[in-house]
Amino acid sequence: MGVIQFKDVGKIFGPKTTGFKALQDINLEIRDKEFVAIVGPSGCGKTTCLRMVAGFENPTSGEVLVDGTPIKRPGPNRAVVFQQFALFPWKTVYDNIDMGLRNLNIARREREERIADILNLMNLTQYAGHFPHQLSGGMQQRVAIARAYVLDPDVLLMDEPFGALDAQTRVVMQEELVRLARKNPRTVLFITHAVEEAVYLADRVAIMTRAPGRIKEVLDVASIRNAENWDSHEKIEDVMDLESFVHLRTHIWRSLREEKAAQHV
Amino acid sequence: MPRRVSIGFATILVVCILWYALTTGLGIIPSGRFPSPAETWSALIHLSGRGYGGGDLAIHVYTSLRLVVLGFLFAIVTGVPLGLLMGWSRKAEAFINPIFLIIRPIPPLAWIPLAILWLGLGDAAKMMVIWFSAFVPSVINTYTGVRNIDRPVLEAAYMLGMPKGRFVTEVLVPGASPMIFTGLRLSLQASWTTLVAAELVGAFYGIGRVLNVAQQDLYPGMILVGMIAVAILGWGTTKALGMAEQRALRWNTAALAARG
Repeated sequence: MGVIQFKDVGKIFGPKTTGFKALQDINLEIRDKEFVAIVGPSGCGKTTCLRMVAGFENPTSGEVLVDGTPIKRPGPNRAVVFQQFALFPWKTVYDNIDMGLRNLNIARREREERIADILNLMNLTQYAGHFPHQLSGGMQQRVAIARAYVLDPDVLLMDEPFGALDAQTRVVMQEELVRLARKNPRTVLFITHAVEEAVYLADRVAIMTRAPGRIKEVLDVASIRNAENWDSHEKIEDVMDLESFVHLRTHIWRSLREEKAAQHV
Repeated sequence: MPRRVSIGFATILVVCILWYALTTGLGIIPSGRFPSPAETWSALIHLSGRGYGGGDLAIHVYTSLRLVVLGFLFAIVTGVPLGLLMGWSRKAEAFINPIFLIIRPIPPLAWIPLAILWLGLGDAAKMMVIWFSAFVPSVINTYTGVRNIDRPVLEAAYMLGMPKGRFVTEVLVPGASPMIFTGLRLSLQASWTTLVAAELVGAFYGIGRVLNVAQQDLYPGMILVGMIAVAILGWGTTKALGMAEQRALRWNTAALAARG
């Protein structure tokens, strides 16, 4: 299972009365195996939402629950993929992926099988013995995704995972993530400020307001994707050309522009 | 031979020729002030053969080297864990830092009289002084190294549910290791400095003892032999540490680039 619930979540950084109000009245439920993207203007607190599910931050008010249990601390059932990859530079690709499995005290034989599978799936087999700095950014993020996926987590938390990659690599990674998510569905919370990425990847897209961040609107992409049969197109640019895609993207853009405009007043 | 090494050898050769020319060849520097190559050589023969200052070269070298290595090792097995603790725990830092602020400005050599008063002229006093001088750089650099580990890397470790022991050995120590090695290099230099100073003040054997006796005997050749011996030993131990560092930090691009 992997149900994420935000219940009346508020977050203030610093003292309660004078501190920075980052989030206010966040209510959102992410169903099991659902892929939800959160988009919003920079500084709206979208990353804070993810960090609370990960257990790196606690809400000031309200509750964040996974499968009905309030989150207290980080744990391997909620795997995180960071924008800056956050691989252990002193460990090889193989040992980076192995780390979480060792911590779960899984027997060596099973670990070897699971790592071989994920390396194969992510096209990393030939790089198993490399150190992270010997790989390109795209490759490093592949390793980070493999390190998260191999844990077979209830939820996968991705914090602008492709934000540090160049445009071409980014597209390839988006296509791969779709492939991976269809083959091996997980509950995914995906933070991004790239609207097209959100529409292409997610079942639902939540739009946030500027700080203090609230959920402004939640769009159902999955029903349109299925109705218009997006998945029959293999390439991302073919999907992006579809009228239904353009329509959704423009809607989100407008919504975000309103927030940007309001910010400057 | 790499270009840099051959240039290095050429420089040493030029210095030796100059040395010979200024002392023996042209006689500009009188031998009472600075020994000629021949006098230095005969002092070396004297020291390694009959012996000088209570022992021969091997005994003096062995005594000094042993004290430095022991004092240095003692300093790092105490200093590195303390640095890890201070880097990791704000409480430990708040507790220990004030002590450091008081002790740090005291030059390690200022501890020599107290060490001799407490522990006499034997090895224990010298180990204590070496420990004092080598301990501080180990602690400070290890502490900085832990603080410099990327936050997301630490968060990745929490996320992966790492048990405490493994977190220390597989995240904190390797993450801080580039800085730890910087600290160790400083510690090693400090160890040699303090050892020679402590032996100058009072010792039965050791290179500092040779230097001290040679000074009293007005024996410039022997003084130079002692100085060269310290230089070679210091270079050798630093080299050994550098090799250990290179092995331990193979993953570290910065370290590799700095050497390339």
